[in-house]
Amino acid sequence: MNAPDRYEKFVVPEGLQKISHEKDTKVPHAATFTIQREDHTIGNIVRMQLHRDNRVNFAGYKVPHPLEYRMLIKVQTNGECEPKVAMQDALQDLQNEFGEIAASFAAETSRFKQMSGEPAHMDYQ
Amino acid sequence: MPSAGAAGASGQLPAHMQIQRDNVICGPDLNYHTETVKQNDIYKLLNINNAWDFRDWVDQFRINVQQKDKLDMQFDMVGIDPAIANAFRRILIAEVPTMAIEHVFYVNNTSIITDEVLAHRLGLIPLNADPTLFDFKTREEAASEKNTFVLRLQVTCKRQGSQMVNDRVYAEDLKFMPMGSLMPDETGCRFAVGQQQMLPQGVQPVDDKILLAKLRPGQVIDLEAHCIKGQGKEHAKWSPVATAWYKLLPEVVITKPIMGERADAIAQECPGLFEVEGKGKGRKAKANSAREHPKLLEKVRRMSGEEFWEDHIRLQKRKDHFLWTIESTGMFTETVRHSVQGQR
Repeated sequence: MNAPDRYEKFVVPEGLQKISHEKDTKVPHAATFTIQREDHTIGNIVRMQLHRDNRVNFAGYKVPHPLEYRMLIKVQTNGECEPKVAMQDALQDLQNEFGEIAASFAAETSRFKQMSGEPAHMDYQ
Repeated sequence: MPSAGAAGASGQLPAHMQIQRDNVICGPDLNYHTETVKQNDIYKLLNINNAWDFRDWVDQFRINVQQKDKLDMQFDMVGIDPAIANAFRRILIAEVPTMAIEHVFYVNNTSIITDEVLAHRLGLIPLNADPTLFDFKTREEAASEKNTFVLRLQVTCKRQGSQMVNDRVYAEDLKFMPMGSLMPDETGCRFAVGQQQMLPQGVQPVDDKILLAKLRPGQVIDLEAHCIKGQGKEHAKWSPVATAWYKLLPEVVITKPIMGERADAIAQECPGLFEVEGKGKGRKAKANSAREHPKLLEKVRRMSGEEFWEDHIRLQKRKDHFLWTIESTGMFTETVRHSVQGQR
């Protein structure tokens, strides 16, 4: 009865920004990013990539409520850079990583197909 | 997991720490060491640099396809973090867009399958349409040739002599209508241009013989089904995979040599997984590839808790080696590529 429509999970309504950030007033070099209409899929990998960064002291994500479709990522850096920069670097690194995985997968599947004699084309039936 | 030999490392981790870092140890009751170690300075006191380097990662990352046929695929992904593997799994199931029947407009339905039940069944049929050709359609947008295509189902059951014709309605009876809806005023779907160029081969269900309804003589089903693009997140009919999952690569390790009668015992308990080498008193047990004996692994796990065996064998799983299985519904056979491109 109170459950929102399913398309609310991924449609960002007018007036809401997909990603917004707030500086943390109590702690130096810390910020919280609010990403609308995203969930653990993105949150966990951004958090993981932030952990790999030398300059990041603290990184965590949470989905405050399962029926509210947004996610918070909290980042604190050690002063060498601002949290926004750390976040941008993390997202860029993730893009590179996924690009590499995509290329590797495409290469491997076409190699496998060649070996087994199938034509290597786009598999839409 | 990045190896500890990154630039700046001045040593290797002690063996037991390396095992704990790379493997999940499967104890009889719990799994141990399940977290992944990411912080740069976690081994600072040992003078080992745990920093993640993209180049090093690229060198050790690999994908190996084990088996691939029309609908299923099994492959290995080595060297990524569990967060990424899980993200792929979630994207495959919920976020790769496909086309499925969404709106069904009935002209006539005198069968015993009620309208909504038949519409539900129609929605779940996998269709071999390329979703990249279409845009997403929001609720407020009008249906057009850019975001919708139309299928028609028109079946009448008749009696021909002593036999019935069309008493079963199959998915193959759905006909693609390249010019769009035949009743644009009622359905609100108007095509400015036909879709013959966009879809020269039309749209067929992946499997022709999906049974939709059974009819008796005199019963008619006449409907128009409009298909739009969607994601598994909104409804499972838009999910391109029947399912997709991964396991970690298991390994059975002998921690203390198993000699003599013990070797015979274990080779009997776990045939194929353990083999006896040599003869006489010096005969030893050898562990074969754990991957090929999945059903014996839980037995090994249980045995590693028993007093007789606990020092000798251990079941462990590598944290960064994922054995993927993807079972597609047939819409496309390389959903992973799309999921990765979607992620970028």
